Amino acid sequence: MTAVGVQPSAVGRGDVVLRADGLSKRFGGLLAVQNVSFSQYDGEILAVIGPNGAGKTTLLNLLSGVYRPSSGRLHLLGRDVTQEPMEARCHAGLGRAFQIVRPFPEMTVHENVTVGALFGTRGTTLGQARERAYDLLERTGLAAHADKEAHELTLLQDKRLEVARALATQPRVLLLDEVMAGLRPGEAQEAVGLVRSVRDSGVSVLFIEHIMPVVRDLADRVVVMDQGQVLAEGTYHEVTANPQVVAAYLGTEEGLHA
Amino acid sequence: MELFLQTLLNGLLQSGIYALVASGLALAVGVVGIVNFAHGEFLMIGAFLAWALSAYLGVDPLISLPFAALAVFGVGALTYRVSIRHVLLAPELNQMLLTFGLGILLQNLALIWLGGNTRTVTTPYQGSSLSIGELSVGGPKAIAFGLAVLILGALYGVLYRTTLGRQMRAVAQNRRGSQLIGIDVERVYLIAFGVSCGLAAIAGVLVAVLLFASPTVGLVFALKAFAIIVMAGLGNLTGVLWASVVLGVSEALVQTYVPGGGGWSDAVFFLLIFATLVFRSFRGAR
Amino acid sequence: MSRAMDGGRAVVRRPDVPLRALLPLGLFFLLALVFPFLPLGERSEYLLQIAFFTLVAGVLALSWDILARSGQVSLAHAAFYGLGAYGFALLGKVMPWFLAMPAAALIAGLISLILGAVTMRLSGMYFAIATLAFTEVVRTIIQNLPEATAGGANGLLVPALLGGNARAQYFLAFGILLFTALVSLAIRRSRLHHAFAAIRQGEETARVLGVSVVKYKLLAFFISSFLAALGGVLYAGKTFFINPLETFSLANSIAPLTTSIFGGLYTTLGPILGATVLRVAEEILHNSIKNGYLVVYGLVLMLSILWLPRGLMGLLRRGKHGGDV
Repeated sequence: MTAVGVQPSAVGRGDVVLRADGLSKRFGGLLAVQNVSFSQYDGEILAVIGPNGAGKTTLLNLLSGVYRPSSGRLHLLGRDVTQEPMEARCHAGLGRAFQIVRPFPEMTVHENVTVGALFGTRGTTLGQARERAYDLLERTGLAAHADKEAHELTLLQDKRLEVARALATQPRVLLLDEVMAGLRPGEAQEAVGLVRSVRDSGVSVLFIEHIMPVVRDLADRVVVMDQGQVLAEGTYHEVTANPQVVAAYLGTEEGLHA
Repeated sequence: MELFLQTLLNGLLQSGIYALVASGLALAVGVVGIVNFAHGEFLMIGAFLAWALSAYLGVDPLISLPFAALAVFGVGALTYRVSIRHVLLAPELNQMLLTFGLGILLQNLALIWLGGNTRTVTTPYQGSSLSIGELSVGGPKAIAFGLAVLILGALYGVLYRTTLGRQMRAVAQNRRGSQLIGIDVERVYLIAFGVSCGLAAIAGVLVAVLLFASPTVGLVFALKAFAIIVMAGLGNLTGVLWASVVLGVSEALVQTYVPGGGGWSDAVFFLLIFATLVFRSFRGAR
Repeated sequence: MSRAMDGGRAVVRRPDVPLRALLPLGLFFLLALVFPFLPLGERSEYLLQIAFFTLVAGVLALSWDILARSGQVSLAHAAFYGLGAYGFALLGKVMPWFLAMPAAALIAGLISLILGAVTMRLSGMYFAIATLAFTEVVRTIIQNLPEATAGGANGLLVPALLGGNARAQYFLAFGILLFTALVSLAIRRSRLHHAFAAIRQGEETARVLGVSVVKYKLLAFFISSFLAALGGVLYAGKTFFINPLETFSLANSIAPLTTSIFGGLYTTLGPILGATVLRVAEEILHNSIKNGYLVVYGLVLMLSILWLPRGLMGLLRRGKHGGDV
């Protein structure tokens, strides 16, 4: 593995693009996410980690609008989107790729991406969307597969499609839900390259990840969650040196360096 | 007060048949995972069997009941083998449309073969009635309810006390897991679907005695069964019993207390189904 | 097979809908246009009537398909067909036919928005049953309206379309099917096509990608019901007499559904082709099967699901994806 080792954040602290203030989500008697606050800065790659059941996916669903929070507020590019539905958040600049890929099965790869380009930003014509979709396929290495149906792709290609489709909505912030899951180490390394190129194109990335080397290679900053709350926040090395974080992971079977 | 009690009693008695039809449908939905739009047509077959055996051979419906159940169990198992089995992995839409097509087919075959007239079954106990204090109950209604309770008791006994029943419930809860622990899922499906159809046929025999047999008699019962299993929550077998009572009693109340109920009673019922579905969808929303 | 990184490679850019795909559809309409002028012999009146109802069946099926494209498999088509018929019967008494026709369709379209709004979160069998129940509610309401206006259960006389001129009526039906087909093609070439397909194939994913699901689902309902109601107008104006039981019968919901699946879902030509085949088959069988001709629809539906999942269109274009019209 070509470890990047110590990669201090190259990004200066610019504007806040995504800000969560005291987000909580209650399912019946279960408090899945509890008073979570954090800020993401422009051009930053932010990782959210934590043991299983820490509330990471619920948090992501709160950010993307699958759930409305029980309390707390969410600001996207300075705008309060707490009560906005998913499609409005998308228009406001939030993209999301799912952990389990969800291509539209009866569409070609190109049509899949066209949907994102067409509806993700207002005022896009069909012709423009189709062109932008072709451009994105070239950028994400799917050019040769444009006319295939999504189910004909390999898992890595499916993940590329998932990212390409989310990028087609021209997000300012991209949420990635364990995109490395199921990939072989070589493939994961490729996916890391893809995420970096996404950031280099000016998109801030927030991702959930289990695979610690990927977090180390990618993340400018890490938010650690445990039992629905934020446990620690800082660079990879700061949080992995934090005794509380180590304790939280030791309590699980995964361990910190799984 | 007396009228009120009488209404409650009528509703309760009616719910026995509803529970039979709905339990059968719930088995198909819960265990096999198929929403059987042809469920009412299996009821219709049972009703016509009772009528035919009574009209041509003079067999009392109560005696032909087990034979009708067995015959329709066979028809159901056959249906499973030649059609349902092939769409188990298909999208839900295809499953739905397949059974929908089957329902249309069976209903219109009956129409072509037997005509659209209603056929009634005459029994010696038709005019009899039972008195409980001030309240009175038609004999056939009481018998039908008693039978429904008996058969439902047997069904739930099988589901909760026998190996086959446990297997069915296991399959209903976790398909893959059941396969892994060595349950012959294919066989469980076949039996569950057959039993589901058999239950509809039993209800059909009772409907033939209480109402009549006709090609379209099943449709309205099937729709009520859908409403019941939606109220109970998909796959919830015990909930079906309560929901049946709720539907039966509320129907009886509407018939007794809503003026001019005649022309509107159908609309009230369909409005109820509609409202149930829509309400559940919004309550289930996040 | 696939190289790890083929990022820089140029992509082959294709047009959305190739023009040649429209050829079979054009051929159908050409045939339909010249049909009344063919030497049909002494049975010409009867044949023209069959052809008229084939066109109506085409309108009904294609309008149903447009709704189905957005993932809403409805059993309420009879309701909007019937609302068109009743709307025309009632409005035709107070205004000329060419105003009564769009007005009736508009009313049906607006009522469909109510149904669409309350069934927004339902899918699959729940949606199907809710739409079925809706049809029954509408039928009962029409049946219980004051007899003096709506005729009650007995039915209602309808002003004859175009003075009962069979040939003129045929061309009106031709025009409306052509209009329906043009709407369908326009949808296929517009953003609606992508919105409908995305909603059908993954509603939540569509929303994440910015598709306004509520808007597009309602739009599908409106367009579909408006067109179905035009079909209802044709039916009412041709038969002079309508009653709730026949006009709102389940058969009028089953036929377009079966026809579209048999012909080929989510296409323009498929439902029209399906309507032609099934309608002609129905006429041929009508003499041997008096009641219960729906048996054919039941059988065709089952067989299509089991062996012909892409319908007649699947036979025509074996193995080709995309670009279907």
